[in-house]
Amino acid sequence: MSIFSIGLSGLHAAQTALHATSGNISNVYTPGYNREVVLLGENNGNGVKVNDVQRQFNQFVATRLNAASGSLASLDTYGTQLRQIDNLLSDDQAGLAPLMQKFFSALGQMASNPGDPAARQGVVGTASTMVSQFSSFGNYLDDIGRGVNEQIAQEVTGINSLTSQIARLNDEIQLARGSEGNAPNSLLNQRDNLVHELSQRIDIRVNEQDSGSYTVALGNGMPLVSSGTPYQLQAGAGQADPTRTMVSYVDGSGNPRELSEDHFKRGKLSGLFEFRSESLDKMQNQLGQLAYSLATAFNEVHQQGVDLNQQPGGALFGIGDPSVFSHTRNTGGVEAAVSITDTSALMSTGFDIRYGDDGYTVTRRDNGKAVAVTFDAATNSLSFGGVELTLNGTPASGDRFLVEPLNNVVSQFELLITEGSELAAAQSNSTGDNRNALALLELQNQRLVQGNATFNQAYAGMISTAGNQMSVVQANLAAQQGLTDQLNALQQSESGVNLDEEAANLIRYQQYYQANAKVIETGSTILDTILSLR
Amino acid sequence: MRISTLTIYNQHTSSMNKQQADVMKVGQQIASGKRVTTISDDPQAMTQAVALSQSQAVTQQFVDARIGVRNSLGQEESVLNSVTEIYSRAKTLMVQAANGTLGDADRASVGSELKSLYESLVGLANSGDGNGRYLFGGYQDDTAPFIRQPDGSVSFNGSTEIREQRVDADRLMPTGHTGDEIFRQVHSSAGYLVDASPANAGTMTFGAAEILDPSDPQFGQAFDLSFGGTAAAPTYSVNGGAAVAYTAPQDIAVGGLRVRLEGQPAAGDTLRIAPADQGNTDIFKTFERAIAALDTPAITASDKANLRNSIHVVMNELDNGLENVLTVRAEVGARFNELDTLDAISSNRMIGYKQAMSDLVDLNYVEAASEYSMRMVGLQAAQQSFAKVKDLSLFNYLR
Repeated sequence: MSIFSIGLSGLHAAQTALHATSGNISNVYTPGYNREVVLLGENNGNGVKVNDVQRQFNQFVATRLNAASGSLASLDTYGTQLRQIDNLLSDDQAGLAPLMQKFFSALGQMASNPGDPAARQGVVGTASTMVSQFSSFGNYLDDIGRGVNEQIAQEVTGINSLTSQIARLNDEIQLARGSEGNAPNSLLNQRDNLVHELSQRIDIRVNEQDSGSYTVALGNGMPLVSSGTPYQLQAGAGQADPTRTMVSYVDGSGNPRELSEDHFKRGKLSGLFEFRSESLDKMQNQLGQLAYSLATAFNEVHQQGVDLNQQPGGALFGIGDPSVFSHTRNTGGVEAAVSITDTSALMSTGFDIRYGDDGYTVTRRDNGKAVAVTFDAATNSLSFGGVELTLNGTPASGDRFLVEPLNNVVSQFELLITEGSELAAAQSNSTGDNRNALALLELQNQRLVQGNATFNQAYAGMISTAGNQMSVVQANLAAQQGLTDQLNALQQSESGVNLDEEAANLIRYQQYYQANAKVIETGSTILDTILSLR
Repeated sequence: MRISTLTIYNQHTSSMNKQQADVMKVGQQIASGKRVTTISDDPQAMTQAVALSQSQAVTQQFVDARIGVRNSLGQEESVLNSVTEIYSRAKTLMVQAANGTLGDADRASVGSELKSLYESLVGLANSGDGNGRYLFGGYQDDTAPFIRQPDGSVSFNGSTEIREQRVDADRLMPTGHTGDEIFRQVHSSAGYLVDASPANAGTMTFGAAEILDPSDPQFGQAFDLSFGGTAAAPTYSVNGGAAVAYTAPQDIAVGGLRVRLEGQPAAGDTLRIAPADQGNTDIFKTFERAIAALDTPAITASDKANLRNSIHVVMNELDNGLENVLTVRAEVGARFNELDTLDAISSNRMIGYKQAMSDLVDLNYVEAASEYSMRMVGLQAAQQSFAKVKDLSLFNYLR
């Protein structure tokens, strides 16, 4: 071979290297970009050849990073949602405790002057402020719940878009490999970046097939992407509780199958589900339990008294009724009705009821533990946790019901009296009798919430729950952040671009190019020398 | 390890972010004066703070309740002070009236002064609290407790139950006394009273009941004496028992008591020896009897004996009434003392609560200020380090 072709192969290699280096430099901040390195080889004694322009990608590190950042995204989403509750409870002006205290203080004033219209109006005023704060507290939590539903739907839309893009890239990569033997790095980078984004949203497993396409599956093995086919997820009203958005998997024949919340271990979806079941439900139920206990205790005592018009006291507070949902896939066609029978046994949780071959089983929704249940065949009713569920028939085996004793309590919490004279402060027809006012005042010291906490202690319990959850999440978040940062640095150390390195390469390959040009020039000089021999 | 340019920049920005967040956090603490600005900063402290604030609120409720009770008791005390003066003046008048040299006209003028005292007393018994509520009506504080009857007498129409208020966790304190307790009861230690019927026709008068033997099985019972026989040989019987011959002066000894009777009773006359609480305890009745007695001319010996007996009874009843009011006033005073003690305890308690609350959630400014400067130094260091690193590029040397 001639010196020219050797020089030319060098020039070509230098150009390819400069091309790769400039590509690296220009993509230094491009997300998902993997550094490219030119692999040179000898060309059988005839110069150099470019073996490969290799992207620096480590599948093992990338998978670990995806998992770690998926967990981080889950915790981050959980924390973001929880912070809303944290902020609400931290505001000591908007808190319920001061308003309950003002209400009781007004009751104390009424006990001092039972005949004084101003003292009575003070009770009505503070009671209505307290009730409206309960409601706005409840509305705030409901809004958060609706926000979670919307976000779940948005995440699902995002997931569907990502899986179809991955499927399309799978096709393109397969096609490119078929025609050129090798897929362009940019397509691979794009696909890996999409997988990274997808793993921020949902817990996935990725397998690379021999054909070069990725199979993406859920944790339970259901495929989301198989070669060029994406499978859709669908967000919609839950089968057990239509007020909660759940995610269903749509299989190849178009049938949706609802995925239970524990299918999601990582990613934003998992953070949303965890927040909803661990924090939001708990907070809503605790608030409902407090409002329920307050309302029933006050109504009971108030109805034993006599008001200023010498009429027996009426109910002071109105509250919402408990609700029961039949699972949409029940086949027994049984209607269920629920009522609260024992306030002191009422727990701050919903219940799942399942009818199987071995009868009824009831589990608490907050911790999944079984609850003792008694079945009364005479009335065809179940009693558990302070509530009674009455059925109008025998359900089919496998039928399920969901009982939420407290979900409507706060939204329909209201003050039923408007006039101070309707307050039953007396136990006789005398205007100066304050015995019932004293009895109402005494309620603040009684353990009426689930029979073991005062109103104020119950509220403190809510604060403690939310605060502890938040500090646990913050601690986990910090740990997970550290882990993810480390993996990120590891991934970057392999795949990231270092500008100093590229600057050096730039010089190197420039000189390489110049040297090879010199080779050609030398060849030309030699040829000239030969040609000039006469 | 290779460090990518992106890592360098990311690391610097995230370190600056973290430092900035720390500075913000301390800044927020300083601005709010609170160590715990959100629940998650210290859930335990926040939970305890809620419990503490409830203790504070309840303590404050008791403080408010005590203010109300103190106010009612103060009003009662000032009324009772006037009542005491009326009783004393009435007693003085009765002493004057008892002077045998006074004529009917003189007695009538004493009677008219007594009458005006009686009117004042009725007014005081129906005192209000300035807000349309009667002080001595008990639960029934919206109507006058003492009502004038068509015959000019006064009857009690209030409630005999008095409102109580919770002035401390375990103390329900009555906010005052009912008119019944003040004007219609005698103190339990009041002794025996002797009372001759105003309708007696004889000239019999009585002395004080002397206690000879309190261990007598009949001691504490009431004894009704009825007189019979003839003017020459009068007899008496106790509680309808056998007739016993009467010779003036006659010492009657019953139930461990001795009462000296003088003068001649007529047949059908009666005399009652009874513990004060089994006789008339209504002070208004006492006044009414005194006024009636002073208004009645004393002409015959029998009239004079009746006048003397009535004055005697009225003075005894006034003494008992005064004793009763003084007892009630002593009770009011004791309640004031109790309120003072409770106030002192609760203000100590409040200080304790405030201190505990402050320890839980308030900020130590000295610590916070030093922390703030430290965080500022950290932030500046992060910024400076970034500024230095950004200049470090090989491209800067390739020109």
